Amino acid sequence: MTVAGELRFYGLTILGLILFPFLIHPIGGYGGLATEVLIVGIGSVGFNLLLGYAGLLSYGQAMFYGVGAYVALLTVSRFFPDHPNFWLALALGVAFVTLMAFVIGMLVVRLYGIYFSLLTLAFAQMFFFIVFKWRDLTQGDDGLQGITVPAMGLGPWSIDLTTPFPALNLGPFGDLSDLHYWYAFAALVTLAVLAFMRALVRSQFGEVLGAIRDNEERSALIGFDPRRYKVAAFVIAGALTGLSGALRGLYDTSIAPDALTVETSGNFVIYTVIGGVKTLFGPLVGTGLIMYLQNVLSAKTDAWRLIEGLIFVAVIVFLPGGILGARRKSARAELAKAVSAKAGP
Amino acid sequence: MRGLVYVAIALGLTIVFGMLRLVNFAHGAFYAIGAYVGLVVAEHYGLAAGLIVAPLAVALFAVVLDRTLLRFFYDRDPTAQILVTFGIAIVVEESLRLIFGGTTRSYPVPAALSTSVNLGFTLYPAYRLCFAVGIVVIVLAVWVFLQRTNFGLIVRASIRDRTMVQLLGGNVDLASTTIFALGAGLAGLAGAAASPIYSVDPNTGFSFLVPSFVVVVIGGLGSFWGAVLGGLLVGELQSVTTLVFPAASDVVIYIAMALVLLIRPSGLLGESEVIRG
Repeated sequence: MTVAGELRFYGLTILGLILFPFLIHPIGGYGGLATEVLIVGIGSVGFNLLLGYAGLLSYGQAMFYGVGAYVALLTVSRFFPDHPNFWLALALGVAFVTLMAFVIGMLVVRLYGIYFSLLTLAFAQMFFFIVFKWRDLTQGDDGLQGITVPAMGLGPWSIDLTTPFPALNLGPFGDLSDLHYWYAFAALVTLAVLAFMRALVRSQFGEVLGAIRDNEERSALIGFDPRRYKVAAFVIAGALTGLSGALRGLYDTSIAPDALTVETSGNFVIYTVIGGVKTLFGPLVGTGLIMYLQNVLSAKTDAWRLIEGLIFVAVIVFLPGGILGARRKSARAELAKAVSAKAGP
Repeated sequence: MRGLVYVAIALGLTIVFGMLRLVNFAHGAFYAIGAYVGLVVAEHYGLAAGLIVAPLAVALFAVVLDRTLLRFFYDRDPTAQILVTFGIAIVVEESLRLIFGGTTRSYPVPAALSTSVNLGFTLYPAYRLCFAVGIVVIVLAVWVFLQRTNFGLIVRASIRDRTMVQLLGGNVDLASTTIFALGAGLAGLAGAAASPIYSVDPNTGFSFLVPSFVVVVIGGLGSFWGAVLGGLLVGELQSVTTLVFPAASDVVIYIAMALVLLIRPSGLLGESEVIRG
């Protein structure tokens, strides 16, 4: 972990996050989409710890995403309506989901492969129907609509995240006022999550997780308890997906039970696989690409989701490592070639 | 009633898993294709024609899918299989949406069968009665096919020891593809037969797929009678809960599924194989 490497990571990531909303403008993107991509992308980045690094295909991430959003919005509208607090909403949303992920994680790590996937699916369906039927609390299929989300308190200041940036014409890249403060906040959280995930997968924890994925028995015999590591990965992934959901709820000021469907769980899988499992930025890239298709292409053609499905199948068949995984693989192949050329006669 | 539909879908799901070790997320899509094909054919040539054409069309589709795409995934890990079949399911669902539109469609019950039959203790719609009898006949036919024919012998032997069957000259590839086509055809038939009872829309595939997983898991993945028992149990469980505590009628089957997975992952009738990786 060299200083230059750290500088490169932070420099390029920050530059990318600053340029992203403007670069997508000429191809039909807009500030709100950029913000949503980062918010949902946080969940995908977290999910990748589970799918990519731990090799566990959870088909139930929607429960963490949806419950995170519901708890955050209920905190300001129902639990503490007299003292609504932005940070409290976010914190309670994440805390509740973390606890939920811990309890469910303890149960699901007992199973392997498809049985693991099916059990996470079963839990997610339970939460979907609980949210759907508990009308008194969740308003059922209407969802929570038009919730007044308080400004974000920061020391002596109070920042309204829906404030647009000052007007500044950037030519083909749109106008600065297209972006709200929400984007800056989402970008900061994204940066923090990426830095955390980068440190995590490089730590001993990340190494052990990979070893368990590749050979669980051997890891156990060396003395690492596979279940503890898998629960930890499940909880971290769940918490980050919950954070993503809580942010989305506060950003949209609304949430509907759709957020907890199998389709949402599947979306996290699609985003992560297309972008590239076991890559730091892959899930973010996948989320961006597919949400772009959803938002921009859907205005032009009804076939956008068909295109999404075809891309997904094509990636699985031809690029099992995803978009970013392919790049890394070719780099590795070149390295191997270079090494073997040197070692040759 | 819904239990019987689950039986028909779950039966295909479970024999495909038993033979190919493939968890097919596209199985619901087969049901949906069957429903639409059945609908279109029935509108022009009557329901009987629809019931014949739909399973054949879906089986054909499955064979093409198997030979061109899925066979590359037989040796991949289960995660990759789930992902690719999930992708296929999306592609099929969206294709159906583009072809037939997003609206809900249904086919009227044929006049000859729209009466009710007096069963002594209750009046029962004739079409549903035929449907139920049909499912029973089909379950028995598939069972006889698997248990009493030479072909079924190869299938059952392949499940135990694929390599040995190949060495003995059994055509395992053909058996695999046939089972896949059979499973798909059953889903297609169920789709076509159920379209006069349950209307069809492009999401139909997924909305039947997820409960079918519940059925297969409860009965035991890969278990023939497990799928039958699971389907009937899940149908009953839902009906009973609807009477006692309607709010929980949907959630209860997932609780049952989770309990089975945690306590006895091989399901009620599944062989207690070692469930790993």
